[in-house]
Amino acid sequence: MTARSTGAIGAPAGGPAGSPAGSIYDLGYRHYEGRRNGRAYAMWSLFVESLRGVWGFGRPMSAKAAPFILAGLYALPAVVQLAFSSVITQQAAASGRAPELLAYHSYFQNFSFLVFFFCVAQAPELVCRDQRYQVLPLYFTRAMGRIEYATARLAALVVALFVVLLVPAIALLIGDVLMQPDAFKAVRDELPKALPSIPAGALTAIGLGALSLAVSSFSPRRAYSAIGLVAYVLLMEAIPAAIYSIGNNAASNPADKLFLLSPLTSLMGATSWFFGTPLNTQDFAGSLTPADYLLGAIVSAAIATVVLMYRYRRLPA
Amino acid sequence: MALIEAAGLTKHYGPVKALDGLDLAVEPGIIGLVGANGAGKSTLLKILLGLLTPTSGTATVLGMDTVRETRAIRHVVGYMPEHDCLPPDVGATDFVTHMARISGLPRTAARERTAEVLRHVGLYEERYRQIGGYSTGMKQRVKLAQALVHDPKILLLDEPTNGLDPAGRDEMLDLIKRTGTDFGITLIVASHLLGEIEQVCTYLLAIDAGHLLQAAPISNFTQRTPVLAVEVEEGADQLAAALSAKGARARADGSRVLVAIESDALYDVVRDAVADLAVPLVRIQQERGRLEDLFRDAVPAGSVQ
Repeated sequence: MTARSTGAIGAPAGGPAGSPAGSIYDLGYRHYEGRRNGRAYAMWSLFVESLRGVWGFGRPMSAKAAPFILAGLYALPAVVQLAFSSVITQQAAASGRAPELLAYHSYFQNFSFLVFFFCVAQAPELVCRDQRYQVLPLYFTRAMGRIEYATARLAALVVALFVVLLVPAIALLIGDVLMQPDAFKAVRDELPKALPSIPAGALTAIGLGALSLAVSSFSPRRAYSAIGLVAYVLLMEAIPAAIYSIGNNAASNPADKLFLLSPLTSLMGATSWFFGTPLNTQDFAGSLTPADYLLGAIVSAAIATVVLMYRYRRLPA
Repeated sequence: MALIEAAGLTKHYGPVKALDGLDLAVEPGIIGLVGANGAGKSTLLKILLGLLTPTSGTATVLGMDTVRETRAIRHVVGYMPEHDCLPPDVGATDFVTHMARISGLPRTAARERTAEVLRHVGLYEERYRQIGGYSTGMKQRVKLAQALVHDPKILLLDEPTNGLDPAGRDEMLDLIKRTGTDFGITLIVASHLLGEIEQVCTYLLAIDAGHLLQAAPISNFTQRTPVLAVEVEEGADQLAAALSAKGARARADGSRVLVAIESDALYDVVRDAVADLAVPLVRIQQERGRLEDLFRDAVPAGSVQ
């Protein structure tokens, strides 16, 4: 470290190249007379900063690793299928059997753990830093309320997750179109199958985003937040399944309602509702319908959002 | 109209009374807010910022109520907290620009103001480095910069020299002084170090246990009968007695004897008394009336440095 960087708070002493910069460059203090935007602008600014933060932009390279690797892994199967689409078509033509392809409706069900890991890695990034380094008072003494702060952070995570969820759907769509001889007909056929990915992705992004941010906001330490989030989701997936399996031999088992508490399961069930596909019996036990899961996912997302807001109302500044 | 007014301001944390019926009116200037740790300085600042709601009583900033018009107040105040408040993994420029935008400055203006303010606080090329690698002095400057970036009318600084070495402390005080006098920004500087307040402030508010102890221009405290401090290795009590016998107002204070200088002849009296008693003399120096005197009776010894 140079002598200058430790020294002189007084500006003139430390001008560039040791020159008495103050006397030459010091224009004096000018008051700011320009526009001052309001809350919406402040929220937008925080949203943009958060979205950049989720992906590690404006941070060191190491901060970019986790989000890009996890999002990349989630998209990888779809991208691989896209890359080999011509090979798949040739083989299908040679063997005379329809190829087994990844489907839009089951993609999230198969690879949801990767999206969840993305939340585990990046949700604490959004809410723990400011608590840990006590940055919150700087926000709350500005034109930014606590609820607005939490809303902007949540919106950024939801948008980031939406992107993560949608990239594979787009890759699948492109691959499916390329595999068919007539591109226009293919788009007409494939697009209706792919479109439910948008509302399903939106709901999943809101549900996972709200849940992971709400849980993360309870600790200023990233690691504890991440562990808490993993523990919560694993327990909520395991406990209902365990309780259900105890009474599995009974004719009707009311314990299947507990599956609505499982965050990933209910989001998967809700995804099926958007695509209009039946629930596969492997992953979904009990008598709950996709509509039940949809309702459960919406209610859970609402509760998580309320918890997050409540937490930020109560945080000391 | 006073810049900041408080009437019967009271804040309880459970059974603890941080502020207890505080009344004050602050005029523009550099205002020192002094008191021992726990006297209620930070609580007062947080109420003025609208971060805390008073248990009872009211406070206004530029005529705006701190509870009902919090948002309007926040456009005109800047706040530098006592604690660390900087994320380590961004550069000072990015951070201060972001804070300027949160304050409502459009993108370009935020960048310009950031460059200007960082230059004012004395951060140059290191402003692009990550804050985590900064020294305490540089961090304090970034904290001041983020409080100044939206050009507030009132700046609330909570212990701005916390953790700085003596050189850094002087530079920070100089910066505070320039900010106040050159820019016409009113600063409220909370500190438990009276020496700092003496150096930079024009007005003093002393609070203790949630009450207002003193509020007056700083000159009231410092322009008093000059005092000569005679430091000796031993025999302070005899010297004080000898001086008193010769009609001087003197009292022993540890190894020092404090003598009120009522006339020039007193210097000769002191010299003769020291020579007659042959006490080992260390130094003789003139002392201004010190703010410490204020607290000598009000605060238990040792709680104010």
